[in-house]
Amino acid sequence: MVRRIFYQAGQALLIIWATITLLFLLTRSLANEQIILARFIGDESTASSSLGQRQQAQQQARHRLGLDLPLFYLARTAADSSEAWLAPRWYWTGTQNQYHQWVRGLGRGDAGLSYRNQEAVSSLLANALQHTLPLALLAGVLLITLSVPLGIWLAAPGRNVALVVLFALDTLPLFVVALLLLLLLANPDMAALFPAYGLGADETTSFWSAPASYISYLILPLASLVLTGIAEPAIQLATALRIELQKEYVLAARAKGLSAAQTLRRHALRNAWLPTITLLTDLLPNLLAGSLVVELIFALPGLGRLLAEAAAAHDHPVLLGGAVLIVLVRQLSLWLAEGLYRLADPRLRTHSL
Amino acid sequence: MSRNGIFSNWSGWLSFGWLLLLLIGALLADAVTLPSGPDLLRASAAPLTPGHLLGTDSQGQDVLSGILHGARTTLLISLPTAISAATLGTALGVVAGYWGNTRLRLPRAWVLAGGGALLLYTLLCAPERSPVAGWWPLVLASGGIVSGKILARRGWGRTAVVLPADTVVSASMVFLAAVPRLLLVLVVAATIEPSISSLILLLTLTFWVPTARLVRAEVQRIRQLPYFEAATALGVPAPQIILRHVLPGCWPLVRTSLPLSLAVLISLETTLSFLGVGLPPEMPSWGRVLAAGRVSPTCWWLIIFPTMALLFTALSLRRLLPDLGQSRVTSKAK
Repeated sequence: MVRRIFYQAGQALLIIWATITLLFLLTRSLANEQIILARFIGDESTASSSLGQRQQAQQQARHRLGLDLPLFYLARTAADSSEAWLAPRWYWTGTQNQYHQWVRGLGRGDAGLSYRNQEAVSSLLANALQHTLPLALLAGVLLITLSVPLGIWLAAPGRNVALVVLFALDTLPLFVVALLLLLLLANPDMAALFPAYGLGADETTSFWSAPASYISYLILPLASLVLTGIAEPAIQLATALRIELQKEYVLAARAKGLSAAQTLRRHALRNAWLPTITLLTDLLPNLLAGSLVVELIFALPGLGRLLAEAAAAHDHPVLLGGAVLIVLVRQLSLWLAEGLYRLADPRLRTHSL
Repeated sequence: MSRNGIFSNWSGWLSFGWLLLLLIGALLADAVTLPSGPDLLRASAAPLTPGHLLGTDSQGQDVLSGILHGARTTLLISLPTAISAATLGTALGVVAGYWGNTRLRLPRAWVLAGGGALLLYTLLCAPERSPVAGWWPLVLASGGIVSGKILARRGWGRTAVVLPADTVVSASMVFLAAVPRLLLVLVVAATIEPSISSLILLLTLTFWVPTARLVRAEVQRIRQLPYFEAATALGVPAPQIILRHVLPGCWPLVRTSLPLSLAVLISLETTLSFLGVGLPPEMPSWGRVLAAGRVSPTCWWLIIFPTMALLFTALSLRRLLPDLGQSRVTSKAK
């Protein structure tokens, strides 16, 4: 058992390391340095300055952004004009390279500086998470508590209209659902039930009404996350339940005198929810990624908006930091899924012991 | 057409008609005389304004023209991506499922010779002014072939080395699954130059996983069937078995997953253009019309019409499936 846990932890660490290394190398090597420099060179270069001054400003900007170091431990040799027959294609750069510095920083909890405003990425992410975590956790709790009853309800015959509606919600992208909600429920022309933008953190709200106003600002983002997320687990659970309910053990349970509801809850549900657990454990990383569009649309100062704006502005350190965070969450929730599977399915427990 | 076919009832006809309309609209987007440039006199005009059937946005861009040209962009990206991702996924799934971890064997001589040549090529290069410049890859390739032939003469070189094809494919699936898809595409698309071809390449490389997973499982099932065993026992070579016996069995699966992945790709492309990532800023897209709708929330026509286009397309694609899809839950772009 202990060996298995260690083995899985090692596997997860390997996946995390390989993924973030690949992402780092991909984003750094594919990015066009000239575009980044042109964006973030600041005020040093004006149109009137001479060529030499501009080059100097570029050098300074490269140094400031940390782009003057080689990318990785191995760097390509310049295509020189030596007359040797063969030359090594790579040379060793030592530990003074961007990757080494970045990973060492990650170990200390420091993910570099933002290109845009030279703020520490880790503090930016921490600030953003303050606003995103309540949203994502609330949405996750709502999804888990709502999808199981919804799936049971859908499993009954004659729910085809509801199924089609759920399919429609499932096919629409998240941001379209959010926009529709904004259009219908937060629009002065239609029904301005909820505030459309921001978090309403002004001083006029008293201490007692603050939680209520906070919730009212979160309702629309929550609703869009829940509406788009609920279709998949609910439909999956309903399908699995329909299959399970036709098996013979259900008939046996009914024959020994259990009510239909008891049979469903005690017997069919325990077999049907195994695939749904997988979907539900992917929930938190997916919700964090889904906050990308939701927070942009509802102007919440969270992780998703930070990443979306960083993507539009080519701010790679922030993007990478967010990606590392979400990869970590993903691996943690995979671990959680393993544990939940063991709880839900006794066969797995005896098998591994 | 069978009873389950798409033309069995009115909804099938309706979805077929919508997809046809979309295709024609995308093809003829330029031929229809629509106001193309911004009409600054009628910015934020409501639908049914003369000259602007579906209204304009706050910049005076015509919504109908945006939707027609956006349909072209969407099809131009999602169709090639869906096809190439399905091809790549099928190929990798067949490799992983057919050969597994133990059945892909190569003679040791060829593994050594090929690996040596590749290693030399990655480690050493020929400078431009050296005598072997330009000849270096050729020298390596011929050297590899010759040394492979020489080594293969010995019995030691002919013993087989097992290549773990299944492990390699499964590991790359795990790595691609480690990052949520929307985030992965966003991170990479934000770094590369925005263009259609690079976006297609990027989406293909991230979208082959579901098809490969399905095909791999199906091939593993087919491998247990009597007709497969019979073909192997008859000594039919592997390419023949794959082409004649394995691929036809996988085709229904691929055909089912193709419309679903098209729907997912369309919604992903719309999301990316909404975020302003991945495509050049001047490309029209449904996502851009919707992004204009976010800025001016009172213009309901900027949101309703592209949403309807998206919804009809997705539902029609779903209707193309043999069964309404109650048994198969789609994986959604998140």
